[in-house]
Amino acid sequence: MIDLGLNKLSSIIGDMSNIATDSVIKAIDAYKEDSQKATKEIFESSAKLRFLQDEVSELTIELIARFQPVATDLRYIKSCMEISYGFSRLGRYAYDIIDAVDIFGPLKLCNKSSVILMSETVLDMMNTGVSALRLLDNSLTNKIYEKENVVDILYRKSLRDFAKIVNLNNEYPDNRCNISSTLILKYLERISDHACYIADCVNYIKTGQSSPRR
Amino acid sequence: MDNILKTYMGGKKIDNLPSNNVPSPKNKSSILSKNEGIKLSISSLNAWFGTKHALKNIDIDFKENCITALIGPSGCGKTTLLRCINRMHEMTPGASVKGQIILDDLDIYNKGSDPVVVKRRMGMVFQKPNPFPTMSIYDNVASGLKLNGVKDKSLIKDIVQESLQGAGLWDEVKNDLNKPGISISGGQQQRLCIARALAMQPEILLMDEPTSALDPIASSKIEELISDLKEHLTVIIVTHNMQQAARVSDHTAFMYLGELVEYGPTAQIFKNPQKDLTERYISGKFG
Repeated sequence: MIDLGLNKLSSIIGDMSNIATDSVIKAIDAYKEDSQKATKEIFESSAKLRFLQDEVSELTIELIARFQPVATDLRYIKSCMEISYGFSRLGRYAYDIIDAVDIFGPLKLCNKSSVILMSETVLDMMNTGVSALRLLDNSLTNKIYEKENVVDILYRKSLRDFAKIVNLNNEYPDNRCNISSTLILKYLERISDHACYIADCVNYIKTGQSSPRR
Repeated sequence: MDNILKTYMGGKKIDNLPSNNVPSPKNKSSILSKNEGIKLSISSLNAWFGTKHALKNIDIDFKENCITALIGPSGCGKTTLLRCINRMHEMTPGASVKGQIILDDLDIYNKGSDPVVVKRRMGMVFQKPNPFPTMSIYDNVASGLKLNGVKDKSLIKDIVQESLQGAGLWDEVKNDLNKPGISISGGQQQRLCIARALAMQPEILLMDEPTSALDPIASSKIEELISDLKEHLTVIIVTHNMQQAARVSDHTAFMYLGELVEYGPTAQIFKNPQKDLTERYISGKFG
């Protein structure tokens, strides 16, 4: 009987992964194209992800109370709680990215290369994390961890570059490009962390070993 | 409960019960049994009912002052293992045992070892409460002492009270000690049987599905009692209730078809079993 509940849980997590990845992709596209047409949809998706996170939370508690799961089932349920939080956060970062585009835009004239470069890596991490989760394949997780290092390096390098630009142009009043880029880079860096947390969960489900806290 | 148990364990000692003076064997298992924390060490244990091989090469160490749960599907050998530990198995016609069981430094299957002494060091509680039907509550607890030649009435009285306190039953029956043992509820009868076992001041308590015939409240009281008793005893409990094993035990051993499949800390067995067979059993996939 627990299988019915686990299948439902798996289905909700699948829906959340689709909504979250779709939102992040749309938010990055919106930044690239300096467009706000996806704003409403991304806001709604973020709210929906929060709702689904609550649903996962309720379902996991019910499964634990009614079936006292053990071993892989128990690890899967615990991981689903963390993963649903992760997807909820991805939705929120997509929301924050489009919010930054909205507040600081138009950003047509900005140099977006550092954000675009980092977004490609982060999207790849996110998609790999979702694949690892769908297939419960922990052989994919190392690829995510390796890319996290790349993201961290890119993030710090970009911040230092922006600091130099700000210093050089300290009389220039319009820093919208630098501020928006900094914010979005931070959101992307957090998304990469959550991709790693998803990878941690896949490892935990498969091996029972917890990953060191980041 | 804790103070009561301390009173019980620190209370009257029985001096005139038979003791076993068989020297400890100089072999691998006796060295193992001297390891700190190991109360009972079993090695290469095999048991048969006629030609049926019921236990196959069991190696397991039971830690002192710990609760170990034996789990596994019906017929896997859990109860047979308990009955080998207290030398009841050999009393079944056609049954035989081979291997070694070391209790502290005593090889209980050594030719010079006295089964009566072995049984006295190990209390046993069965699936269904089985108080002696014709005896009062008091006499149920006192019977083992009397059978073992204890005649000091004052001593018996003290031990009966301490044993009933140790089993968490004293307050419920102290005014009804002369009533028949079977006049109380099922849960109380099971605690009476535990008191009866405690009266003999055992070092190990063997429990064979002690709550399977009880309602949830009575089961919960027994589980609390088991947890309290481990401060003074080593407990080995057979249970079909996975949640009970997870709740009360420190270590869990999973048996299947007469073999010990996996043994480890309970948290590990239930969160991250190393064997696929264990995982499938505890998840309810078979059994």
